[in-house]
Amino acid sequence: MTTDVTGARPIPTDDQVTIPALFDDPYPIYRRLRSHAPVHWIPAVNRYMVIGYHACRTVERDQERFSADETNSLMKRSMGHSMLRKDDPEHAVERASYGGVLRPKAIKNHWRAVFDHNARTYLDRLREIGPGADLIRDFAAPYAAENLRVIMGFYEATQQDMQRWSQTMIDGTGNYADDPEVWRMAKESSDEVDEAIDRALPYLRSHPDDSLLSRLADLPVPLESIRANMKMTIGGGLNEPRDALGTTVWALLSDPDQRALVAADPARWSDAFEESVRWVAPIGMYPREATRDTELDGFHVPAGARLGVVVGAANRDPEVFTNPDRYDIDRPKQPHLAFGGGEHFCAGAWVARSSVAQVALPMLFDTLPRLRLDPERPARAGGWVFRGMRTLPVLWD
Amino acid sequence: MPRIIYHNGTAEPNVVEAADGTSVMRAAVANDVPGIVGECGGQAMCATCHVYVRAEHLDLLPEMSEDEEEMLECTAAPRDEKRSRLSCQIVPGPGLDPIEVDVPADQI
Ligand code: HEM
Ligand code: FES
Repeated sequence: MTTDVTGARPIPTDDQVTIPALFDDPYPIYRRLRSHAPVHWIPAVNRYMVIGYHACRTVERDQERFSADETNSLMKRSMGHSMLRKDDPEHAVERASYGGVLRPKAIKNHWRAVFDHNARTYLDRLREIGPGADLIRDFAAPYAAENLRVIMGFYEATQQDMQRWSQTMIDGTGNYADDPEVWRMAKESSDEVDEAIDRALPYLRSHPDDSLLSRLADLPVPLESIRANMKMTIGGGLNEPRDALGTTVWALLSDPDQRALVAADPARWSDAFEESVRWVAPIGMYPREATRDTELDGFHVPAGARLGVVVGAANRDPEVFTNPDRYDIDRPKQPHLAFGGGEHFCAGAWVARSSVAQVALPMLFDTLPRLRLDPERPARAGGWVFRGMRTLPVLWD
Repeated sequence: MPRIIYHNGTAEPNVVEAADGTSVMRAAVANDVPGIVGECGGQAMCATCHVYVRAEHLDLLPEMSEDEEEMLECTAAPRDEKRSRLSCQIVPGPGLDPIEVDVPADQI
C-alpha cells in the first residue's frame, strides 16, 4: 500500500515540553499540544509524539507503514529482541507460542484460584502492617509480582526477584541518558533471568504444569526468543496490573460518589477498572517507526521517523471522551487504547482484568470497608511512559 | 469483491464490497462500519468484533476454533448459541457472498 503524501502538512515542533514536566503531569501538556495538531516533533524526547485518538489507532493498526521493529531500540539492548519489537509474520509465530496460557479458559481453570490465594495472602500482610501502610508497596506490587511469577513458571524465584528484574530491565529500556550503572543493573537481572530459565526448562519438561515456561519447554522456539519474550513479559506484566490497581483505588478513595456506585453493585468493578486504565493508561506511550514517507491525519511523516504512540493522550481525546479528565465509571462506553491494538494487543489483558477487577479490588474493599486516604501523607502519581501511583498511604479501622 | 451487509438496528444496513480474503471484521473497520471494534486485529483475543450471523449462512460458516469458542464467552452483548461469531474469523467467499450479519448493541 502506498500513501500519497502530496498536500500533507509538515509536523509542528514543540520545544517547550520537558521530561520532568511530563513525568509530573503529562495531561495539561497533551491538552495544549492537542489544540495545535494530533502529532508533534518533541525534541526533548527525541520522538514524534502521536497524541490524537484517531492517529494512534491508525498507527497501531498498520504495521506495514509503522513497524514495531525499532532501529537502535533500547528495549532490545536491555531485554533482547522480543515479539513486542517484531512485525508479522515473525511476531505471529512467537505470539502463538504463548498458546492459551494467558487466555480466559486457563484463567478460569488455573489462575483465578492463584489470584484469590495471593490477594488473601497480601491483604493479610497489609493488615499486619496496619493503617498507614502503602497500598502500592505493601499490596499491589507484591500481589502483581507473585501472580506473574506463578503464571510464568519461575518456580525457584521470589516475588521480590520478579520486582527487581522488572524494574531494572525497564530502567534499561528507558536509559536514554546511557547511565552505565543502569546498564549494569539491567544486565545483572537479564543474566539472572537467563539462568532461571535455563534451570526451569529441563525441570518443567519432567514436571509439566500450566505455566508459560512449561508450555515453551515443549516447543521448538529458539532459546534466544524465549529469553527475550520472558524478559519483555516480566517488564510488561507486573507494573501495569500494579498501577491499574493503584490508580483505581486512588480514584475511588478520592471520589465518594464513584465509590458508592461500585459498592452498590459489584458487577461494576469491571467498569471501575476499564475507566481507570482509560483515565491513566499504565503504559502511556509505546514506540513505532515509519517504514516510508507517509501521511498521518493530514501530516507528513518522514521515512524512518521514530514515533511515540501516546495512548495516555489518546485516551483523553475530547473528540471521543467527553469531559476526558474526569474519572467517571458512568461515561458512555468508547473503546480505550490502554491495551494497545492490532497485532500487539496486550496478551495479558484478560489476566489483568481477572486479577485486578474480579479479584483484588472487590476483596480489598470488602475486607477493609473503611479504607481511606491518609490526610497526613498525600498520595502521589508519577510517570508518563509508564504512569501510576508512586505512593498511596491508606488508613482503615 | 464479496458483499457484506451489516445490520445495525437502523433502517439502512451498511453494505461493504470487501477485497478478497478480507474478514468481516477488517472490512467493517476499514469502512468505518459502526459497532465493530476489532481491538486485537483479528487474533480471537479481544471479543470486540462479535456479530450475529443471519440464519441462512450458518451451515456454511467455517468451524469454530477453540480460541473463538472461548472468546465468545467474553462478549459484552449476550451470546446467541447458534448465531454468535467473531467477525474476524469469517472471510466471505463462495457460499457466503453476500453475507448478512447483525451487529450487537455493545462490544465493550
Ligand atoms: C492493566 C494492565 C496492562 C496494561 C495496561 C497492558 C498494556 C499493554 C500494551 C499497551 C501493550 C502493547 C504495547 C505495544 O504495542 O508496543 C501490551 C503488550 C503485551 N502485554 Fe500487556 N498490559 C497489561 C498487563 C499485562 C499482563 C498482566 C501481562 C502478562 C501476564 C501482559 C503481557 C503482555 C505481552 C506479552 C505483550 C506483548 C504482545 C505482543 O507483542 O504481541 N500485559 N500490554
Ligand atoms: S478482532 Fe479481536 S477477537 Fe476479533
